Amino acid sequence: MTEGVVFDLGWRPHDGPRLGRAGARRALYKDGLRRVLGLRRKARRKVFPFTLMAIALLPSLFFVAFGVIAGEFDPTATLFGHSQYFDLTGALVLIFTALASSELLVPDRVNGTLAVYASRPLTVGDYVLMRSASLATVVFGFLWLPHVVLFLGRAWVNGFSSYVTDNAAILWETALASVVYFAAFAPLGFLVAAFSKRTSLAAGVFLGVITISSAATRGLIEAGFDFMGLFAFQHHPGFVKDWIMDSSTHSWIPEDAGFDASVSLLVIVVVALLSGMTVLARQRRAA
Amino acid sequence: MDTTPIIATTDLRFAYGDIVAIDGVSLEIPPGRIGLVGANGAGKTTLLKILLGVLPAASGRVDVLGHSVATQQLEVRSRVGWMPESNCLPPDQTAADFLGYAAELGGLPVRAARQRASDVLGLVGLHEERFRYIGEFSTGMRQRTKLAQAIVHDPSLVLLDEPTAGLDPEGREEMLDLVTRLETFGINAVISSHVLTDIERTCDWVIMLDGGKVLRSSPLTDLSTTDEVELEVIGDIAVVAESARRMGATAELIGSVLHLKASNRDAFEIARDALAEADASVRRLGARRTTLEDVFMGEEAQQ
Repeated sequence: MTEGVVFDLGWRPHDGPRLGRAGARRALYKDGLRRVLGLRRKARRKVFPFTLMAIALLPSLFFVAFGVIAGEFDPTATLFGHSQYFDLTGALVLIFTALASSELLVPDRVNGTLAVYASRPLTVGDYVLMRSASLATVVFGFLWLPHVVLFLGRAWVNGFSSYVTDNAAILWETALASVVYFAAFAPLGFLVAAFSKRTSLAAGVFLGVITISSAATRGLIEAGFDFMGLFAFQHHPGFVKDWIMDSSTHSWIPEDAGFDASVSLLVIVVVALLSGMTVLARQRRAA
Repeated sequence: MDTTPIIATTDLRFAYGDIVAIDGVSLEIPPGRIGLVGANGAGKTTLLKILLGVLPAASGRVDVLGHSVATQQLEVRSRVGWMPESNCLPPDQTAADFLGYAAELGGLPVRAARQRASDVLGLVGLHEERFRYIGEFSTGMRQRTKLAQAIVHDPSLVLLDEPTAGLDPEGREEMLDLVTRLETFGINAVISSHVLTDIERTCDWVIMLDGGKVLRSSPLTDLSTTDEVELEVIGDIAVVAESARRMGATAELIGSVLHLKASNRDAFEIARDALAEADASVRRLGARRTTLEDVFMGEEAQQ
């Protein structure tokens, strides 16, 4: 049976502008956003990202609604302040990063789509950079948007201009903390995804490594191996976040091991750089 | 007509570890439809990957469309399309979305990319299927989508690696028709295949590779030209063959077909005289057309 008919519509050469490498990078970035959010994909691909984002955003909407109804917001309340909010979103972003990072790298390699990129004005570095930028945008939005909602809600109830003037610092502090969470988790997510053949496997391994590292390092620290505190990957961003926001929401493993928050920040940067270089090398081989 | 080479290589070498895949290849390929033939493992795909800059040449120089692949890789890639032999399509995107994306990756603005995606899908016979997910496509439809992504950004050169692989006879015919039409679109094509009849049908220049070396690079018409005569008769062909030999021709009988070749006289004249002497009638008489397979086997044997 014939599967299609070849229509002769003629051929029109493209005589308009060509955007070259910049255009290709932009296309790659936009595709990354769509892929992470499941846009222009089947409905089931949208379930996880949008459910996680809803869970992350709902508490802020709830507290804003509560404050509006009550007519006041106690800025000193710590039940669900900005720093505490990261306890929720910091855990959710682990799952989000696991799913998103594997979705960004694994299908291109498994489906052979890297061959298409190889015939376009892009380098492997462009590919990794733009995929990272897509993930950074979504993860940053995931982490920071609830804080913006919370901030604007409080400002609305407590008098906009005075609240914004007095508390503007919280916006850049939460933004900076969001960047730290991204830098701590995303490179590791990419590292696992770069070597996995299945998205679900990559996500599972990433989550397993991160969560097991916390339990294992706590046990080893209690046994006297304090240096193992450096390997508590899940706890570094929270510890640095408390440092940035001048808060103390948890007993962080690196802190218990006697390390300073600056050491945790250094670990995040070093792990991110090493992971990034490994991912780049791996993608070069796969291309 | 512009005859500037679209591809020029000089003493190109590449090896996978100890295995030499490309061994001193020097080529100057004119515009048009170029066939790249060779057995499996001859180095066809490796050569295509080197032309794209996916694999770096160990030594030698490669210029594609006047740009050095080593130093101007992105300029080359912005004007080249590639249809790989293996799968390159995401199953979770519609054909229209993926083609639009592929065009944007080629540097086309968003609006132009969408328009071209629609046009090219129509051209390859997938207009009605453009909003279906690629994962639902048959092998033939996937091959056509692969060709579409290779040309959607209007490249000057397209590299097709085994474009008819896995296609049924009807799908193969359609694919070969599309490939043949590329030149009318102003797109030069290098078509890699081990199916020699596909190359004979679609190309005007052929490069034969064997063991990473170039056996031959020449117009296909040169390969087809022959001074041999092919003859079928009504009557005893063995007698005709014997007469021809007496007249100084080399006569080779293959089944019921007689191949005549003569250096001292026109082979057609010998055929006429031999038929008269043997009192036989002509069933079929004509110049023997050498197939690509004949040439390839001959060149390989010489090596």
